[in-house]
Amino acid sequence: MTAIEIRNLAKSFGPVKAVDDVSFSVDAGTITGYLGPNGAGKTTTLRCLLGLVTADRGTALVDGRPYPALEHPLTEVGAVLEATSFHPGRTARDHLRVICTAAGLPAARADEALAQVGLAEAARKRVGEFSLGMRQRLALGTATLGRPRVLILDEPANGLDPAGIEWLRGFLRNLAHDQGVAVLVSSHVLAEVQQTVDNVVIIARGRLVHQGSLAELTGNGERPVRVHAAEADRLVPALEAEGARVERAGDGVLRFYGVDAETVGRAVLEERVLVTELVRERSDLQEIFMQLTRET
Amino acid sequence: MVALVRSELQKLFTTRLWWIMLLVTLLFTGIGLGVTIGFAGQAPPGAPPTPGRETLEFQQAVWASGTGSAIFVMVLGIVMMTGEYRYQTITTTFLTTPRRGRVVTAKLAAGLLAGVLFGVASLLLIAVAVIPTVLIAGGEVTLLGGGIPRIMLGVLATSALYALFGIGLGALVRNQIAAVVGAIVWVFVIETLLTAIPALQGVGKFTPSGAAQSLIAVQVDTGFGEADLLPAWAGATVLVAYALVFAVVASLTTVRRDIT
Repeated sequence: MTAIEIRNLAKSFGPVKAVDDVSFSVDAGTITGYLGPNGAGKTTTLRCLLGLVTADRGTALVDGRPYPALEHPLTEVGAVLEATSFHPGRTARDHLRVICTAAGLPAARADEALAQVGLAEAARKRVGEFSLGMRQRLALGTATLGRPRVLILDEPANGLDPAGIEWLRGFLRNLAHDQGVAVLVSSHVLAEVQQTVDNVVIIARGRLVHQGSLAELTGNGERPVRVHAAEADRLVPALEAEGARVERAGDGVLRFYGVDAETVGRAVLEERVLVTELVRERSDLQEIFMQLTRET
Repeated sequence: MVALVRSELQKLFTTRLWWIMLLVTLLFTGIGLGVTIGFAGQAPPGAPPTPGRETLEFQQAVWASGTGSAIFVMVLGIVMMTGEYRYQTITTTFLTTPRRGRVVTAKLAAGLLAGVLFGVASLLLIAVAVIPTVLIAGGEVTLLGGGIPRIMLGVLATSALYALFGIGLGALVRNQIAAVVGAIVWVFVIETLLTAIPALQGVGKFTPSGAAQSLIAVQVDTGFGEADLLPAWAGATVLVAYALVFAVVASLTTVRRDIT
């Protein structure tokens, strides 16, 4: 079931095309990572989806409707946007209670949500005294206040320590895989979400560069054969004749793209080159991510 | 809508600002009271004496001093709006209520209520000061006649409407410090000059404070001659018109803007 659907979304700020014809969808019960370098257009996409920014073109729908058309938005969509969107002089509990009142939720939900994100002890503390990690937890508590079926998070791991990131992973997996919530989580660090997400959508300079499962992403990456040999250059003409592309990685180390290890081994045999290392490199998600999003 | 107004009032009363502003308001009103009571019946140089403490005119002047603190209600209104932008809580507010017109309406209603509350607090303080003063001076306390009820209503209305002015200005300017400084310069410099200098009173009577003065008009000679004021009904109309303009400004500037 499609929970979030974005079609041909475009938004410019002055001359800058922040989001340029982006389309993707997120299904219920799955976690989708929305990845891209800083400034790629992730935040703008999410803010268009949430009705905070008006798109120039295209549609962004939650459960088939634009966000501003939702009658009780907090019970359908939860969002975590910035770590700082709290009044420092208000207590965590009052912050949630103000929202409960406006959203027509019972005030008791505030305490339940605080307990869920592990802030029950700090409920009566002013948010100004909170650490960044506590603010992120409070933001998650805010987002889940109305028990929404769709959760949208913008860089939620920023400012979390390793233990906090581990906690966040468990929190999101539980919501998506056990409770069927659709989760869309943005990040500029692939490694951060790699272990959590089912699908990835990658954006660079406002344009979509990849959409699919993590496995598909790994398949797309080229796995070069790395050769370490003092006279490695002697292999180049023969392998180029086989259609290989060559990357010089430094002192006697070459990477051959587009050929398999056997082809390279045969060239080694025929050219009688002394080789100290010959290996098919493992596909590195971070490297693929960098390739996809590299400035062109 | 009731829930949204309650939520806005909750926002106001869950931070320290409201009672700090209330204390400042009462302090300011108190100082004004002290001056008015202290100098009652005395003659400034080259002018006739002001009414003595036993007179009705004295009571009218003291009750009317309740509008002096309207600027603080305006600041409260400004902060109700600009605080949301300053701390980015506006994002959560609009996520909770994506129909932004409703948020603005709820804020205006909450501001109106807060303004009335501040007005009531000022009037109570004045009552505590004026009643014993008049009795000690041997005068007769008047509460329900002599134009006093109209002055009290004028104080309440001014306080309530200035909260709206603040919310509208805050929505327009968004920068908290710029909005507060702008409001203070307007009220203490521009309006004061326009309403105090006789040659400018033709313009000054149409400013918010000029219109407010017409609501609480007591013909006290301040040494500059009698002030040129609108009739009370026209003053009320001008004030409500200002409030409507500010409400429309608040809505138009808030509804379409991108929240980034």
